Amino acid sequence: MTIFSEAVLLDLLSVAILLLTFACLGSKLFDRYVAYYALQSIVLSAAIALVAYYLGAWDLWALAVITFLVKGVGIPVAIRRYLIIRLELKRDVAISTGISTSLIIGALLTAFAYFAVSPSSLPDGLIATSSVSLSTAIILLGGLCMVVRRNTVAQLIGWLILENGVFLGAIALVATFPFIVEAGIFLDLVAGVLIMLTFVSGLAHRLATTNASELRELRE
Amino acid sequence: MLTAVALQILQTTVVVVAAPLYAGVLARAEAIVQSKRGPSVLQPYRDLSKLLRKGSAVSENASWIFRGAPFVAFSCYLTVSAIVPIITDEPLPLAFLADLIGGAFVLSLAGFAIALAALDTASPLGGLGASRTTWIGSLAEPALILVFFTVAAVSRSDNPYFENHTIANSATAYVLPTHLLGLVAFFILVLAENGRIPIDNPTGSIEISMIEESRVLEYSGREFALIKWGGWMKLFLLSSIFMNVFVIPWGLGHADSFIGGLQGTLALFGKLAICGFVIVVIDSSFAKLRLFRIAEFLGASFLFALIGIITGYVIGK
Repeated sequence: MTIFSEAVLLDLLSVAILLLTFACLGSKLFDRYVAYYALQSIVLSAAIALVAYYLGAWDLWALAVITFLVKGVGIPVAIRRYLIIRLELKRDVAISTGISTSLIIGALLTAFAYFAVSPSSLPDGLIATSSVSLSTAIILLGGLCMVVRRNTVAQLIGWLILENGVFLGAIALVATFPFIVEAGIFLDLVAGVLIMLTFVSGLAHRLATTNASELRELRE
Repeated sequence: MLTAVALQILQTTVVVVAAPLYAGVLARAEAIVQSKRGPSVLQPYRDLSKLLRKGSAVSENASWIFRGAPFVAFSCYLTVSAIVPIITDEPLPLAFLADLIGGAFVLSLAGFAIALAALDTASPLGGLGASRTTWIGSLAEPALILVFFTVAAVSRSDNPYFENHTIANSATAYVLPTHLLGLVAFFILVLAENGRIPIDNPTGSIEISMIEESRVLEYSGREFALIKWGGWMKLFLLSSIFMNVFVIPWGLGHADSFIGGLQGTLALFGKLAICGFVIVVIDSSFAKLRLFRIAEFLGASFLFALIGIITGYVIGK
């Protein structure tokens, strides 16, 4: 077995993505939060490129490039320019559980994901079975980001992290699904981000805050 | 057998003699990075010889704990220097004494003795330092145990020599995420255990913000020399374990050739130069953390090790 077989490299990249998810979960400053998300997307595009190289599929190469451009550069720059700078967001102190607690919950979720999607339960013939478990963990952690953060912008990025996890699982499980489906997912993603940008800007305009806990007043 | 005994003596001698030099080189390099000239690399030796010639003043309220602690701590570090892989990759005659967990136990025994001595004279700063160090230790300990578990997940043993052989002989084992995450987690612990930035400033002289150093403010003369020497040996030992067991497992001598041991010593100096460079870069580019952020920093180490173990469970070997 050679050292840098595709499986080993894909495992390493998946672990790097998982660690960057934890970095997102544990960062208080918005700038870093977005930067970690951008870095995570770039590592994800590297993982897709690796699978593309392994399978020799041109559409996966295209997917890797689109991932890099849209998620690694486009969305982070848009969030930074239209939300963080315009709304003057600096730190998200409104975390409902505290950083340490949310990190411990994240570690527990990771362990749960590993037990739930253990590699032995997956079919043979996958490129790297452990990436599927890791992607499940990333999906759960993205959800956790949305739950523990109070600021809608931070929740938006949590949703994007969750989406990255779905993508990693997709390329590890069924790397051969048609290109049109992947392109459709991307279109959905971009549309979703646009809607969220508009929504959050509107929210900030109306309430002068993007803190989601203010929304609870609607109940009364 | 005779060669092994000679190597055993050589190994401990290297640790005892070269530890002040390592600290001196680090201090000098740090000063150069910060555009200062800095003290000579031999300054720690001069400090030692000065302190060893002086008598020591002991508070009249101090008990035998205060007088005995430096000797206990120093002999703990001597013991560890006999059992871990420093210049050879095969166990020397005394290596049967303890595995990694035993070594960690002996190291924390030294810390415990110094903390007791700091409390013994009832000086407020000593108590402050002892309580802070113990608090950090209580955060670092779980992470350290988990790092040992990552070692066990890679090499199926908690013996440092097994781990060294496993990752030296197999590139696959070296690039396992479990091993790499354990490596990062252990490096954070090396910084924390030695009171380097971002946990504590080793050159700081403001009593109220000191952590490690304020425990030993009461000491003077010979005892202070032993304490300082012990601290340098701890840094030397942990850096050597980090390099030999986690980062560069190659270049060590065998237990049957004395020349190999000497070459291993030279290789060790090269490895420590790399490790020292990284420590100097971190020292010069980060600020000290606020006290309560230390928990998050060590939590990161805990998290790295935990994810490493879980990943080891998923990926297997």
